Amino acid sequence: MKRIRVIIASASMLLLVLGIVGCTKVEYTQIEEPAYLRVFNNLNYVQTLDSKDDKVPFFCMLINPVVGVDGTLSEAEIVGDFLDKRDAYAPPYPSHIGSNNSVNNPEYPGKNNVLVGPILNGFDLSSWAQVPSGKLRVVFAYRPKNTIPFFQLEPHLRKDILIDTVINLDGREVYTLHLLQTDFVTKEHGVLLRQENFHKLSLSDSLVYVNFYNMSAKGFWQADATLKDDDYKLASFKSGIKDDMNVFLSLYEDQSKPSHIGATVPGFKGKYMTSVKRNTNLATVSPYVSFPLWAGSTADGIMTPMWQRFDFFVPGMDMTNNPFYAGEKNTGGNWAAVNCLQNGKVAVTSGDNGTLLPNLLVNIHSGKDNPKTFATVNTLEVVNGRIYLTTIQRKYAPPIY
Amino acid sequence: MDEFILLLYNVNMHLRFTNTKAIFQLLVWLLVLSFSGCKYDDLTIAVPNENIRPAADFIKNNYDTRLFYAALRKTGLDIEINGEGPFTVLVPNDLAFNEIGVFRDADFDQMNLDSLRRVIAYHILPRRLYLQDVPTNSADVRYATLEGSELYASLGGMAQGAVVPSNKLCFSGAEASRMDVPLANGVLHIVDKVMKPQFELSIQDWLTKEPQYSVFVEGLKKFGLWDQFAEKGPFTVFAPTNKALEEAGITSLRLQEMVADNYLGDVLFGVYIMYQKHVFISDSDVFQIISGKGTLTYKLKDGQHVMSFGASKAYPTWLMTYNLRLTESDYIFAPQVGQASYEVRAKTDYLCSNGVVHDLDKAMVKPNQALKK
Repeated sequence: MKRIRVIIASASMLLLVLGIVGCTKVEYTQIEEPAYLRVFNNLNYVQTLDSKDDKVPFFCMLINPVVGVDGTLSEAEIVGDFLDKRDAYAPPYPSHIGSNNSVNNPEYPGKNNVLVGPILNGFDLSSWAQVPSGKLRVVFAYRPKNTIPFFQLEPHLRKDILIDTVINLDGREVYTLHLLQTDFVTKEHGVLLRQENFHKLSLSDSLVYVNFYNMSAKGFWQADATLKDDDYKLASFKSGIKDDMNVFLSLYEDQSKPSHIGATVPGFKGKYMTSVKRNTNLATVSPYVSFPLWAGSTADGIMTPMWQRFDFFVPGMDMTNNPFYAGEKNTGGNWAAVNCLQNGKVAVTSGDNGTLLPNLLVNIHSGKDNPKTFATVNTLEVVNGRIYLTTIQRKYAPPIY
Repeated sequence: MDEFILLLYNVNMHLRFTNTKAIFQLLVWLLVLSFSGCKYDDLTIAVPNENIRPAADFIKNNYDTRLFYAALRKTGLDIEINGEGPFTVLVPNDLAFNEIGVFRDADFDQMNLDSLRRVIAYHILPRRLYLQDVPTNSADVRYATLEGSELYASLGGMAQGAVVPSNKLCFSGAEASRMDVPLANGVLHIVDKVMKPQFELSIQDWLTKEPQYSVFVEGLKKFGLWDQFAEKGPFTVFAPTNKALEEAGITSLRLQEMVADNYLGDVLFGVYIMYQKHVFISDSDVFQIISGKGTLTYKLKDGQHVMSFGASKAYPTWLMTYNLRLTESDYIFAPQVGQASYEVRAKTDYLCSNGVVHDLDKAMVKPNQALKK
């Protein structure tokens, strides 16, 4: 009898303890009717003797900021601090979070710990931040390149504003916001807000999609070579491309043999894809063009080692009448090439003039297959002397080890 | 203690013939007791001397930094930097002082004490700045000095693809030849030249003050290039001396005769000006490490002539030498207009409020080379 009483007493004690410990009210952060926003800083800089006194385009992005009487920014609803120049590759997942310990952010949200987008029509939007829809005031403020958070900087360092504008976002829509130089001569800047539509299109998962933009500043390709970023890795893109260009695609069989004169996929050697026009103010989405994922001869439906090369030619010029020799980098903006293979760091051995980007196809361990090749949706953006790749991928099966 | 041992002895005696195990146990206990029982009443530990080599004392005791110590003593800064600190002292060695004409302690007596104090205080930072504290591959990181103004630190840390760091550390154009000497109240770096901050003086003020550039100033005024030097800039000026200009046929008299409209002013005198940049000579070496390119090529304001600047340490003197080369255009085989090399490091890197001035002993352009066509 006594024993039962002891058991009951201890059980009720346990319940009481559980009752106290177990009930924690978790308040989830929630944004009503959010829009999904991804921000890139397309203003670039290089560290050379020539540019050492130039102002570094390193920003803090503030959405709906509070401005004090003296013009100092004191707080904001959303803060994207340490916004650095964008990386050449914007991966489908914010994987740069784990790969370095720098505070500098190559995009927003990037490393920021914020609510991100859901999976929309199969596309994983974890690189898009949730922001309130409606009219938002966006400010890009210059900040010194150090690790002190923006609002802890001295007040006089919180006044230097590059862009102060209002954008309008619809709920449950996907946007990319680009900070751009609009005029190379007058050094004017602007933003370009693009409402993306890839999640609304009926895209096949055995085709790889890509669209092209030229968001270069007015007068860049015409400018003197000494005024442009001095970086040999930019290769034929260094001097920029002309305002109207045609894009040609070559598909190569094997990215373990990086040569631009290597074996190509039949039917894909300098195939015309689309044309691209310089534009820094219209926010229309360029149409997506596609090529088949399993076109290569060694493709087995699981993995393909295929890689891509895009040639930008001025109208009237193509692979057959190209007057330049293969390694010519100084083409006056008439021809520029980019090789998309491996991780974007492996140089092509054949002495060509292409700059480097990662492969458009994503090869990753999924299910039992390691690696498995996935079709993606891509955006190639030319900004002044550089070309950037943004890859979007569908949600895929986790790996089985 | 003695009674205790006696007691143990008795116990021991009692157990001796009864149980060997017990004896072992007892021995263990004794061992423990021997550790805990000993008192070291008279043990003394020497108190470490915490007052060894504060900054000024260290500098005083170093035979290669006697002149800097003399300057410290003269300005009273020796007492200050022997204080609590922390300090970083950038000490020009005696050779560096010899190069600017200071050979003995008494030479400081001829100087304006306030100016000397400011310059010497500019060599001291009220912080502990080791090499590792300066960001790798950085240029123009500004640090506050004891004087109140800021100096520029540049560190060419690691060249691209290099395995061994270069760690070329420069302060306002002076290279640290020996780094990270720890002091009780800070750290010391030896630098190879005396930094020459001109504080509030603009390039205009400084050029006016120095009589050896009077013809250069006249020329700048004649071709409308003078007024800009009162503005913010920054500029880098390679200032040719009167003697250098005379060798190229430019004298005060000749300038008065010249008709300004017949000449390309941006070539004849604009050649000595670098716009929107403040460049120390050592920057060339630092950027050689950072970006792989230590030369700077730029067009003059006439839009045609191309100037290239670079600096390096070269055989046979291994002194930091800067080179200028002017060509008629950016065409690869374009004819060379002028060329100059300069290696007197004591007369470069005058840091003015709106830029840097370097002395130049050779003119780049002769008047007939700058005639309008």
